[in-house]
Amino acid sequence: MRITTANAFENSVRTLQQRAQALTESQDRLTSGKRVQRASDDPTAASRVERALAAQARTEADERALQASRNALAQTETALSNADDLLQSARELVVAAGNASYTDAERANLGQRLRGLREQLLQVANRGDGAGGHLFGGQGTAQPPFLDTSAGVQYRGEGGRQMIDAGEPLPMTLDGQAAWLQARTGNGVFLTSPAAGNGTAAWVDGGRVTNPAALTGDSYSVVFAVSGSSTTYSVLRNGAATAITGQAYVSGQAIEFDGMALSVSGAPANGDAFDATPSTPTLSVFDVMERTAQQLVTANRTGAQVTQTVQAGLRDLDSSMLRLQAYRADAGEMLNRADMVEGRLGEKRVAAQAERSLAEDLDMVAAVSQFQARQTGYDAALKSYAMVQRLSLFQYING
Amino acid sequence: MSLGTRAMTANYAALQATGHNISNANVEGYSRQSVLLSTKQGGFSGAGYFGKGVEVRSVVRSHDEFLTREAIGAKSTAKADEARLKHLELMERVFPTGENGVGHAAGQLLNAMSDLASRPSDTATRQVVLARAADVAARFSSAGSQLDALQGGVTEELKANVAHLNELAAQVAMVNDRVAAARGLGQPPNDLLDQRDLLISQISGYLQVSTVDAEDGTVAVFIAGGQRLVLGSKAEEMTVRPDTEDSSRMALAIKEGAGVRMIDSRALGAGSMAGLMRFQNEDLVNGRTLLGQMAAAFAGRLNEQQSLGLDMSDPPGAGATLFSVGGPQALPAGSNAVNGSGAYIGSVTLSTVDATQLKASEYEMVADPGGAAGVWQLTRRSDGLVRNVSSGDVVDGFRITLSSPAPAVTDRFLLQPVTRAANGMSRLLDDTRGLAAAMAVSASVGAANSGTASVGALQVVSTSINPALTASISFTNNSGAYNWQLRDASNTLVSSGSATWSAGAPIALNGFELSLNGVPKSGDTLTVAKTQFPAQNNGNALAFLSLRDEAFVGRSMLSTSSLGGGATITDAYASAMGSVGVSVQGARTASTMSDSLAGQAEDARAARSGVNLDEEAARLIQFQQSYQAAAKMLQVAQSVFDTLLDVARG
Repeated sequence: MRITTANAFENSVRTLQQRAQALTESQDRLTSGKRVQRASDDPTAASRVERALAAQARTEADERALQASRNALAQTETALSNADDLLQSARELVVAAGNASYTDAERANLGQRLRGLREQLLQVANRGDGAGGHLFGGQGTAQPPFLDTSAGVQYRGEGGRQMIDAGEPLPMTLDGQAAWLQARTGNGVFLTSPAAGNGTAAWVDGGRVTNPAALTGDSYSVVFAVSGSSTTYSVLRNGAATAITGQAYVSGQAIEFDGMALSVSGAPANGDAFDATPSTPTLSVFDVMERTAQQLVTANRTGAQVTQTVQAGLRDLDSSMLRLQAYRADAGEMLNRADMVEGRLGEKRVAAQAERSLAEDLDMVAAVSQFQARQTGYDAALKSYAMVQRLSLFQYING
Repeated sequence: MSLGTRAMTANYAALQATGHNISNANVEGYSRQSVLLSTKQGGFSGAGYFGKGVEVRSVVRSHDEFLTREAIGAKSTAKADEARLKHLELMERVFPTGENGVGHAAGQLLNAMSDLASRPSDTATRQVVLARAADVAARFSSAGSQLDALQGGVTEELKANVAHLNELAAQVAMVNDRVAAARGLGQPPNDLLDQRDLLISQISGYLQVSTVDAEDGTVAVFIAGGQRLVLGSKAEEMTVRPDTEDSSRMALAIKEGAGVRMIDSRALGAGSMAGLMRFQNEDLVNGRTLLGQMAAAFAGRLNEQQSLGLDMSDPPGAGATLFSVGGPQALPAGSNAVNGSGAYIGSVTLSTVDATQLKASEYEMVADPGGAAGVWQLTRRSDGLVRNVSSGDVVDGFRITLSSPAPAVTDRFLLQPVTRAANGMSRLLDDTRGLAAAMAVSASVGAANSGTASVGALQVVSTSINPALTASISFTNNSGAYNWQLRDASNTLVSSGSATWSAGAPIALNGFELSLNGVPKSGDTLTVAKTQFPAQNNGNALAFLSLRDEAFVGRSMLSTSSLGGGATITDAYASAMGSVGVSVQGARTASTMSDSLAGQAEDARAARSGVNLDEEAARLIQFQQSYQAAAKMLQVAQSVFDTLLDVARG
């Protein structure tokens, strides 16, 4: 085959250009460290990169949501811990108020201090999360969520909790209504209370469950009859007489019926009644404190009345504390969950990064060796071009 | 003596041809010439025939018709592939990978909803969401304008190519004229022929041609499978005209008297203009529809979600439209029937019904070939699916409405449901308070519930929801049976009923769907009521967030009459990008191959016709020596003559 001069030169130049181009591409990839710079470099890998990048961006968004939730949860946990401290103080005050040697003035003083604690507790319940929301805001509330009205502290909002999505649902708020205003009344199963119009010389304790299987869920009342020196009592179930009728009364002795037991102490007057009604989730911690404080500041009450106040106050404070502690445990558990979610998000992020890197990053060793091969090739092409282009018959026939 | 003179003349001619070759070694299209020598017939004498030396018969060019045609054809294909590749590579930049892509921006907008869910009333967060929304819209519309710019580039290039081609055609006609004139002289006008071959080769770089040699030495040039470009000394003029189907695209035409004759772009064959037309009519349309489909589906789905939520205005209302996109359009063909004032009689209007069902395609609509009245045949161009439609039908998420009076049966329409969607995309919502982060209703579980059921997810699924109604659900046994009641604001019973809940299935009432976690027990209650504090509710922001996983691009109605088969916005972008990438890859491979084929064909042609300087050097020496020998002959003849004269003088 004839080699034509112009064509040969053109071909050599074209080959040189191609080699130079390949070399530049290699260098480009080496400097950027990316194997896939355009979709056409490797369409499949480019799609993988796109998905991995989306997963990465998503993990970042989820992590921000997680931080927001964790921040709120940590503050909630602190708030509930503060509430616990305040309620402990309140409990001590109430215990102290039971001291029989205290005068009315001293008790009134304790009552005032109890009111002070209540104020503080309300502040805690209305605590903000530092970003415009409220820790106990539920699914949305007025600002602030708890309002001290003449009818007691009211929750102006929607119950439930605000959830956010950090890959998994996490809460931003706690249900304030459930935590603060919906503790169970009484001992959690039934509520003992003196009937209105009772005398002032007897009181009832909180009662206890003796046989859970025998509970009926009905309302009972223990009615006393005093005839001369004998005091007897009868138990009514939903207003109807039961088998327990005309039993002799001994102060402080347990009165047992249908799996429940309560003890009445002191000297009940004729017609005095003590009710045991099913417990309901309606106990507001603020009401408990206000009622107890109100009773403590009231002067001229008998020892039995004070004891009743202390008994009921302690019982209800304990119930409220239990409720708040349950929510504190819940917040703690959610924080734990947030930690686990963080771990999972971290794994997802690493996986996405690895996927992206696998799909688009350059295998440096292979790339360097390829670069060197191309460099050698280009070098050889240049040298051979220089040598070949010197070859011409005209060189020899000059002389 | 004459013997020597002839030899000198012949060798001098050969030297001249060699010199011509050497001079033109680097001229494109030049064919090596050589002098055709032949022995002059000897004169007879009694002693036999005495040779009378050499004579120059002709100067011929070294030329092979087949190899030349081969090289021209290969070059034409290579130019077509090169032109398409060049533009495809530009189009690939509209679909960049990673952080610069439209897909990433869309994902980031949805991710920002996560922050909005954490802080639904925070103005700064809302601002971020709006800024991201603007970014998505800007990227879509900028991608659309880049595609427009590519179309503009194609148009300009076609015009420049056509101008050049017309000039070349005119030159071919001129050379034809001169070749025909030179024909009479009896010798081939080598350099003119070379020039004409070169011109034809250049034309075929723009557009594939076929040539027919005529008796008189002229060459007729045809394009596009038989359209006359040059005949004898007359050249036609080509021109670029708006496509009759879609005037934003260009088509080629040949001027014919006062009018033009359009050339079917599918018949163009090869050449850079054919490559450009293929890019314009296939690849660019593909890019536009992919982009438009994403824009329309994304905007449509987000607008829908926005309308299902409550914004922060006073009083809170349904969210206003977030994005606007370029609308669907139906283009009448240029040949459609017109009335007296030149306006089209019939028209077709499209409206988007469900943006998530739109397909990345254009459609062609013609009257039913079966002749049924009012029935039109719709062909989906992406896959060739043919369906019959009538006015008012909904196909692939858009409704087709025919005008009254109906279009003529000879009319054709090009339907573009998504083609222009990305171009016009913009963010309509400017007020941060307008973002609908809240859900119109919220759910709560009864405080005294004994089961483990809690609210898993509450979603508003229809704009027909009446948020003023309170839905109460109370379970009547432990296996999920429940009674429900809807009461209005004044607590009047509106409707009630009973049903059974099963794990995983949502409770659907009044336009909402409520999913439960855990198991409810008998006596448990659930309430779904109007959201009292929309400013702090994040229900709709969470619904926006869940769009990250919703496959809402290009859904289809399945045989189970549910919607499915779509892709998430991330996947849709990844696959669009991949699709363009594959096109580029394919075009690159085709271009590399046809380029190397063209190189080989050119090598083969050049091997036959080109000049090798070494060879010419050798010939130079050869003819130089022959010339010297002929001169020596003259010298010998002269000395013989001198000797004779001396003898005579003596």
